[in-house]
Amino acid sequence: MFKKADPIQSTRAEDFDYMKVNVPCQEGCPALTNVPAYIRAVYKNDFNLSYNINLEANLFPGVLGRICSRPCESKCRHGEKELGKPVNICYLKRAAADFRGRHVPLENPIHQSVSRKVAIVGAGPAGLAAARDLALSGLSVSVLEAMEKPGGMLRYGIPAFRLPRTILKEEIERILSLGIELTTGVRLGEEITLDGLLGDFNAVLLATGCYVPRQLNIPGERFDSVFSGLRFMMDLNAGQPPRVGKKVLVLGAGFTAFDCARSALRLGAPDVSICLRRTEEDLSVTREEVLEAKREGVRIESLMVAKTILGNGNIRGVEFIRTRPGLPGHGGKREITPIEGSEFILDADTVIVATGQGPEPLALKDKRAGEGMVTVDKGSFRSPVSGLYATGDYVTGPSTVIQAIAAGRNAAAAIFRDMTGRDFLERVVTIEDAVTTDRPRAWDFLPAREIPTLEPIRDRFGKKPKEVELGYPGEQAETESKRCYLCYLHYEIDIKRCIYCRYCIDVAPRDCIKLVKKIMTNENGAISGFEETTVWKEVNGIIIDNSRCIRCGACMEICPVECISVSKVQLTERTIGKSEEP
Amino acid sequence: MKEEHFIIIGMGPSGTQAAFTLRKQAPDARITVMSKDAERAFTPHMLPDYIAGKISEEDLYPYDPSTWDELDIHVRRGQRVTDVNPANGYLLLDHREVLRFAGLILAVGGRPQIPEPFLPYQNLMFTLKTVQDAKRWTRKLREVDSVLVIGGDLTSLAVTKAILHLEKRVFFLINKDAFWPLRYDKELMEEFSNRLSERGVEVIPSGRLKSLFREVNGKIGCQIDNRSLQVGMVGAFLGLAPDIRFLTRSGFSMDRGILVDEYLNTGFEGIYATGDCAQVYHPELRDYWVSIGYENAVTLGRIAAFNLAGCRVQAKVSGESIFKVREVNVNTSWWAEF
Repeated sequence: MFKKADPIQSTRAEDFDYMKVNVPCQEGCPALTNVPAYIRAVYKNDFNLSYNINLEANLFPGVLGRICSRPCESKCRHGEKELGKPVNICYLKRAAADFRGRHVPLENPIHQSVSRKVAIVGAGPAGLAAARDLALSGLSVSVLEAMEKPGGMLRYGIPAFRLPRTILKEEIERILSLGIELTTGVRLGEEITLDGLLGDFNAVLLATGCYVPRQLNIPGERFDSVFSGLRFMMDLNAGQPPRVGKKVLVLGAGFTAFDCARSALRLGAPDVSICLRRTEEDLSVTREEVLEAKREGVRIESLMVAKTILGNGNIRGVEFIRTRPGLPGHGGKREITPIEGSEFILDADTVIVATGQGPEPLALKDKRAGEGMVTVDKGSFRSPVSGLYATGDYVTGPSTVIQAIAAGRNAAAAIFRDMTGRDFLERVVTIEDAVTTDRPRAWDFLPAREIPTLEPIRDRFGKKPKEVELGYPGEQAETESKRCYLCYLHYEIDIKRCIYCRYCIDVAPRDCIKLVKKIMTNENGAISGFEETTVWKEVNGIIIDNSRCIRCGACMEICPVECISVSKVQLTERTIGKSEEP
Repeated sequence: MKEEHFIIIGMGPSGTQAAFTLRKQAPDARITVMSKDAERAFTPHMLPDYIAGKISEEDLYPYDPSTWDELDIHVRRGQRVTDVNPANGYLLLDHREVLRFAGLILAVGGRPQIPEPFLPYQNLMFTLKTVQDAKRWTRKLREVDSVLVIGGDLTSLAVTKAILHLEKRVFFLINKDAFWPLRYDKELMEEFSNRLSERGVEVIPSGRLKSLFREVNGKIGCQIDNRSLQVGMVGAFLGLAPDIRFLTRSGFSMDRGILVDEYLNTGFEGIYATGDCAQVYHPELRDYWVSIGYENAVTLGRIAAFNLAGCRVQAKVSGESIFKVREVNVNTSWWAEF
């Protein structure tokens, strides 16, 4: 018996280029989560493995399985035209968290202790992600948080009916249990100063997020019943629910606007509308969020922008002006123009302005860091002040949780590199042998499974917040996992052995196998294009276009000379040696 | 050889009228009408009369198939358009055929809308849009003695009349969510209820539908507020949603419909939208509105064709017939008819 070979671990640029094109879900995830691998683990009912694959890349599988903005799903090959709907990747992540064993082993520090100390200001997703990686690398990590509890926007920005606090608490505690020291209730500029931290620690990472609400700068914005969306959610989540009236208008289009609207219903407002500058088509929140908000009774009004909040201390209504979207510009975004003379008034007694937020200015003696705002180099996360770094929303402006996590992890890698002159983690492409897929073709036609939600709707409005999305039952998670094409499988034709019978082309379910005149490669050696031909005498090769291949394996099965092979190619992380005292 | 190729997507009242008008305005143009349905052009507002048994199926089809040939209009039925590229002037069909056009009229109409709160029960609800839907109604009505109608629009009233004509019992549930296309108010509600009651309909005013379920005897159980009800079938008439999903990636501005100006232009040269699928910004009204109803559809179809042929005709608005429903203004003449 031969022992199965260990996977080859490649760091060649051409293999990384291949991954970008051919495993689109993983490339779409800012944290580069190995999506096919964790979906496969769900299929095998190995929920612990699935959870751990997520844990390694994104730290918060239970949290993200509920609230991730799902950039992976918009890239999923199953969602391409003529192939149906994307796999519900996010719900499968949640299934991994829901069904894992209670005692998934904790990560251990992977390096020897490094006698350097790092302070991280802010215990939101970016700060905690950086803390986890730095703690695993062997550094001593202290996290300083202004609020009473850690979690940042996860705890104070997202309502409990979308993210139960028990889930958040458990996943934060898992991170802190790596030996991270957390101090809460300390605010930069009050209990602590940046200059003080720079004196006490070898490095300071700012991950203070964005907590300054963006103003509309329109008359009436300072009336009592005008809330900023962020303040509304923070008060609610801190246990001090704001008082809402009978007719609530929410101005905004993001997750915060939807959270505010759905929360206002739960606080007793009978009539809640979200007012959009653009249209429902342009919303970036998930379709499930829109659907559930509407089912609960939120109205969505579009093509309007607020001009004046009317009233005399108390709000009477809002004067809007209609907008007109222009034709799509570069990047597909349309310019919105107010239509002169189209003013109209909507009655309201409460207005929530949820149009975004920015970072808070910080005081620092060394003005090289920036006037009020610390500026950093985006690649190295370094500020002009030695030892001072910044990451997450503080640097980029409001982003998604998964983007903040990725930014935190990348900043941690940069800090470790600066301190020790080496990396403690590196990405590699693992290549191993595989057998052709065991997915019957019929699985490609399974309908996407919707996630069950709390019914009837009235049960969602009790005194205690109840989670709306209930998660897949086990068998549904398995069924949904079957839909994944497993794009980490790589099919290749050995043209030296190919007899050009073209049976593979005949059985291919899409035009994924091409007779080509010429194959182009980029500077790294990865295939960047090809020139297809239908003229037999021009044919110089035959290739599988892996960006169109749905990994059905039909070509491999029909090949009479067995010149088609399959391997499993994955983008993963590996630790690099043991760090030494610098 | 004919130079210009004009395409009309949709063969409802608006698209049909657009085609006929365009032929008059552009006698030499090549005109193609695309319809995703295999059915012939029919008159949707007459479907309730068909259900009532007052007219035959043949009466639903106003045009002899030879009409199109006589007008030299090419009709392609059962052809689903999957994409439109307005900037480059071509569209793509389901079977990957590419059709080029010099002018395009989008008259894709709408499909029956089930608002989000009613979605869990949609499989138990009958809607009415096509001749096939009307046949389903006819078959089912033979088996049942009572119907719950949820709605408040013209079609729901016309179908109610049809059911009464067949001597079946009608329960009519109206509430804020179901009342379409008029703005709900107490005065209107009372008048509406009285008129229905006079005709022998049992009106359930302001009721909140809590659940629908199939009973073991095959009937439909309804829980409306605290009242339980058993009926033979349930009809839902909750307005139309434009059938424009296939245009999502096309670059058109879309909201409740395809956004157009008062000349029904989409913002792309030579491309117009008309009928139920058009959402018009009108400077006179200083707001957006959509039109519903047969007469409006025909009128807008004619205007779109005039403008595509080079005229400059504005869609007219009449303040009295425009109502705001579910965040959108609706132009309708049906209330006067009722």
